[in-house]
Amino acid sequence: MREMIVNELSPATQELIREFARFLPRLLVMLIVVLVGWVIAYLVKWILRSILRLVKFDKLSEGAGAAQLLNKAALPSSTELVSRFAFWLAWLGFVLLGISALGILGMQEYVTRFFVFLPRLIVAVFFLFFGLLAASFFSRAALLWAVNTDMPSPRLLSSSVRILITIFTASAVFEELGLADSTMLLAFAIVMGAVMLGLAIAFGIGGQHLARRFLEARFAPEKKEAKDREDELSPL
Amino acid sequence: MASIQDVLWYKDAIIYQVHVRTFFDTNGDGIGDFRGLAQKLDYLQELGVNALWLMPFFPSPLRDDGYDIADYTSVHPNYGNLDDFNLFLQAAHERGIRVIVEMVLNHTSDQHPWFQESRSSPDNPRRDWYVWSDTDTKYKGVRIIFVDTELSNWAWDPVSKAYYWHRFFSHQPDLNYDNPAVREEMWKVMQFWLELGVDGFRLDAVPYLVEREGTSCENLPETHAVLKELRGKLDKYFPGKMLLAEANQWPADLRAYFGDGDEFHMAFHFPLMPRMFMGLKLEDRKPITEILKQTPQIPSPCQWCLFLRNHDELTLEMVTDMERDYMYDQYARDRHMRINVGIRRRLAPLLDNDRRRIELMNGMLMSLPGTPIIYYGDEIGMGDNIYLGDRNGVRTPMQWDGGWNGGFSAADPESLYSPLMLNPVYGYQAVNVQSQKRFDHSLLSWMKRIVKVRKSTPVFGRGSIDFLYPENHRILAYVRQLEKETILVVNNVSSTAQAVELDLRRFKGNILIEMFGRNIFPRVGDIPYLLTLGPYQFYWFRLRRI
Amino acid sequence: MSEESILTDEFLRQLINVGEADILVGVPTYNNAATIGHVVQTIRAGLLKYFPRERAVIVNADGGSRDQTRDLVRGASINDLQVSGDIHALRTLHSISSQYLGEPATGTALRTILASAELLRASACAVVSPDSTTIEPDWIERLLRPVYQGTYDFVTPLYRRHKFDGLLIRNLVYPMTRAFYCKRVKEPYASEFAFSGQLGNHFLGQEIWTHEAGRTGTEISLTISAITGGFRLAQTFLGAKPHLDARSADLVAAMRQTVGALFWSLEPNFQLWSTHADSQNIPTLSPGQEVTLEPLRINRKRLLGMFHSGVAELEPVLKQILSPPIISELQRIAALGEDEFSYGDELWARTVYEFAASYHKSVISRDHIVQALAPLYRGRAFTFLVENRESSGEEIEQNVENFCLTCERLKPSLVELWNGRK
Repeated sequence: MREMIVNELSPATQELIREFARFLPRLLVMLIVVLVGWVIAYLVKWILRSILRLVKFDKLSEGAGAAQLLNKAALPSSTELVSRFAFWLAWLGFVLLGISALGILGMQEYVTRFFVFLPRLIVAVFFLFFGLLAASFFSRAALLWAVNTDMPSPRLLSSSVRILITIFTASAVFEELGLADSTMLLAFAIVMGAVMLGLAIAFGIGGQHLARRFLEARFAPEKKEAKDREDELSPL
Repeated sequence: MASIQDVLWYKDAIIYQVHVRTFFDTNGDGIGDFRGLAQKLDYLQELGVNALWLMPFFPSPLRDDGYDIADYTSVHPNYGNLDDFNLFLQAAHERGIRVIVEMVLNHTSDQHPWFQESRSSPDNPRRDWYVWSDTDTKYKGVRIIFVDTELSNWAWDPVSKAYYWHRFFSHQPDLNYDNPAVREEMWKVMQFWLELGVDGFRLDAVPYLVEREGTSCENLPETHAVLKELRGKLDKYFPGKMLLAEANQWPADLRAYFGDGDEFHMAFHFPLMPRMFMGLKLEDRKPITEILKQTPQIPSPCQWCLFLRNHDELTLEMVTDMERDYMYDQYARDRHMRINVGIRRRLAPLLDNDRRRIELMNGMLMSLPGTPIIYYGDEIGMGDNIYLGDRNGVRTPMQWDGGWNGGFSAADPESLYSPLMLNPVYGYQAVNVQSQKRFDHSLLSWMKRIVKVRKSTPVFGRGSIDFLYPENHRILAYVRQLEKETILVVNNVSSTAQAVELDLRRFKGNILIEMFGRNIFPRVGDIPYLLTLGPYQFYWFRLRRI
Repeated sequence: MSEESILTDEFLRQLINVGEADILVGVPTYNNAATIGHVVQTIRAGLLKYFPRERAVIVNADGGSRDQTRDLVRGASINDLQVSGDIHALRTLHSISSQYLGEPATGTALRTILASAELLRASACAVVSPDSTTIEPDWIERLLRPVYQGTYDFVTPLYRRHKFDGLLIRNLVYPMTRAFYCKRVKEPYASEFAFSGQLGNHFLGQEIWTHEAGRTGTEISLTISAITGGFRLAQTFLGAKPHLDARSADLVAAMRQTVGALFWSLEPNFQLWSTHADSQNIPTLSPGQEVTLEPLRINRKRLLGMFHSGVAELEPVLKQILSPPIISELQRIAALGEDEFSYGDELWARTVYEFAASYHKSVISRDHIVQALAPLYRGRAFTFLVENRESSGEEIEQNVENFCLTCERLKPSLVELWNGRK
């Protein structure tokens, strides 16, 4: 009985072993690729981190307000984040390469699509980062200008600027990633259009006085009434 | 005193060459002395020089103007004693003036105790200190240097009944540098003076130290080995001190004396000097640019020493025969002016007392790459007396004023070591320090100004040189650069007014600022830069970008 | 070697024609045809009267005026070509004008004037503002004589002005400059000043020209440079300060030119200002009455209103710049009514110091930091106006002096903040 089992099993086992033996080199290749990939990915992370430290990336992202965001989410600093992101990305790429070396059909296609997608992902990340940076900077600039020129509702102005730029950034990112781009584009167009229309109506109806005051201050300073006239004083 | 750490001080130095005997006499014996020299240090400080080269002042029978030394570690009683020397040295250092002492390594006087011992018997321990031979046939073919007085490099010594070797006068036997005892002793001599505080040595006649059969006995590798050994000791025990080589050789041979920065710090650029005079007479820059093109690169801590005239004849050894003939015809028509292979005249007489030419030559001296040397008296335009024997015509007493003995000494005029210049053009009443001090336009005042401008920037002493070759061959133009500073020098070596267009395109955008008056000249653009110069005129421009 | 020169070929040609000068008066302009004629004629009169034997030149550095500014300047020359019966001058007086390259900026104009001074080897130089409608010929004498004699290197002006004119200078720029650099220069941002040739060369060699501070805040940077370079300073009374038009009453621009440049200067000079202690007086030559008391109408309410709005609306920005205790203090006084409101010396000094520290660390864009200070300054200005409503000139001087002493006393706190020890 045992002999029969052994007899039956042995060719199967041999077959299994043979298959495994044939598979082994490819597995080895994959492991090597993954290992080498890990080393290269680590190097990439290290180099990227040094470069970012050199250009004081942290400072820049502080300016963008990203640092505060990250802090709140208990994430590490931007430099660290970007470097780690690069590491995982690079290593993932190598892992996928290794898997493709295994020769498993079907995987190839996914691997290829991943690599095609990769540069667009990086570009999108850049857009996102600089978009957030710009949003933060310009919204603050608007806030300061509004406060110093005695405009009403400076916060509103500042937030509007931030929102507008953020929306624009988001749509650019989505378009770059090719994710539901037409939907996003449409949504963006609708929102922008609505905001513009709203602003026009509000300004046209409600903002007349503001507009008049603004234009007067700019172009016709002598038309002030005697009662309100101040003596000119220079801070210097 | 400049920082002790500045070991390259010699690159910024302006050297004044003087013999103690000629300068100022305080004890009324008609011979200048160290106390006198010390008294005149203020004058030198005002002139602007920051280093003094003293010609030999050691005890000596004075048959070669002190170059025949009879005692290396003392001072000739004519000039004072060691205490006087020390006081002078201290006073010089207080005024920021370094002192370079002359050291004759190659030979001694035959009156030196060493030679007296050496000749006394073949078994004397100092026998081997000199180069003895039973015959005069060794080292055949070696050239004679003092052709006008010597017939052979060997001299017969009746005392020891043998021949001894002498490259110079027969009363100056050569020391034997193959003997380690000689080398050791000469180092001790140098050490003696270094410990007193001297800042460097001018080593006389260095190519001739070692002899070997079948060679020219000049510039031998063994000679260089001896010199490197000396330099090694100097660097080890006395850093910051300087060695200056007197080696009248072609530029390629001169290069060897710098070694790899481990031999001499400085060497005289002998070949350049006659060519400056030649260029002036030819009204062509070619001799000057050619010799400088042939001049090899030297190690970066090393420096050339430039000079117009010195105590010797204007040597024409290192020129071709054709050039020598030309120089004799132009500068020494009178045979009396010629001696050995040279011309024994001072700067002013050579240049016909032409103020413009004197200024131009000094301008080139101060702007070509190297450390300049002013020969005493040339700063006031002293003349020469070619009827005095040997080269004594250029070694007459310094002329301080128009009074008794030209202000040099209170002694009787007949007792002076040398007669004074008396003619109406160069005599002490016409040419003296006191009258020139008073006027802004005198040669002395002009020399002070040019020294001041030269010292205002390190570019002249330390910078690179790049010749411009404008089509007008009568214009010698070059650019000196050091780091960010650039200076343009333009010299008109002809006797007539010239116009020249210089290609300054690589300096486009720079404003030219003339360095003496500091006036601005137009900015360099794309087109060739036009300059006009009067006879023998020169410009120094600082290039400035604002 | 491809730096653009700030001097055009045409200007250089004019400089070559001038050759060398003993006295140089520089006037930076941009569309000042309304006032420049009078200014240049007054300078000329001053030069003729007080420096008749000296070689003098008036140098105009213009930013591209499209009116007749440059022609008016050139018209002030005196040479042998024209014969005017009423003007007696020994020498040719050059009055040259040139348009500098780049956009109009005081910094570039001053740099052009400094370059001219160097090339012409002028031993005494002065800069005069083209808006000085109140200038008198003796201003030239008062500014230049101390420098020409070799007694001083840098002479700043003192003016007769209304007691409430120049609030920014009184409440911020002067006390802070004095606290940092320990010299009591009353007008560190001067529109008229004089300097020696040596100091001019020193200015020209500074790093500021390549920075933003060099283009906008030049006057302050030059003053600071003169102090840190150890030059001999003095100040002299000139006369009435001219009233400027509304354009130059723009507070934010003024703050950029003064406070921005001041903060910027703290970086390279850290060693110097962090160690020095008490401030010293600088000699005051030809004193005069500095404060006038004509009645004036000022809209104080608006100032307070803008302070309130600033503290409220700029809270997120201020949170990044100031420490919590200062913010809460500011919010506390913002809640006070108009009659109780007081932005005291100590709080104001601390505010400014914290701004300086934040500027140094660039917590946000530096320009934004300067802008954020403006509404807070308005609160301070309000306090100053209220407290000194009835004060005499001496009393105001005393109050300013007290504030300066407070700033000096609190300076060590900035040193701590600077190094990050909050």
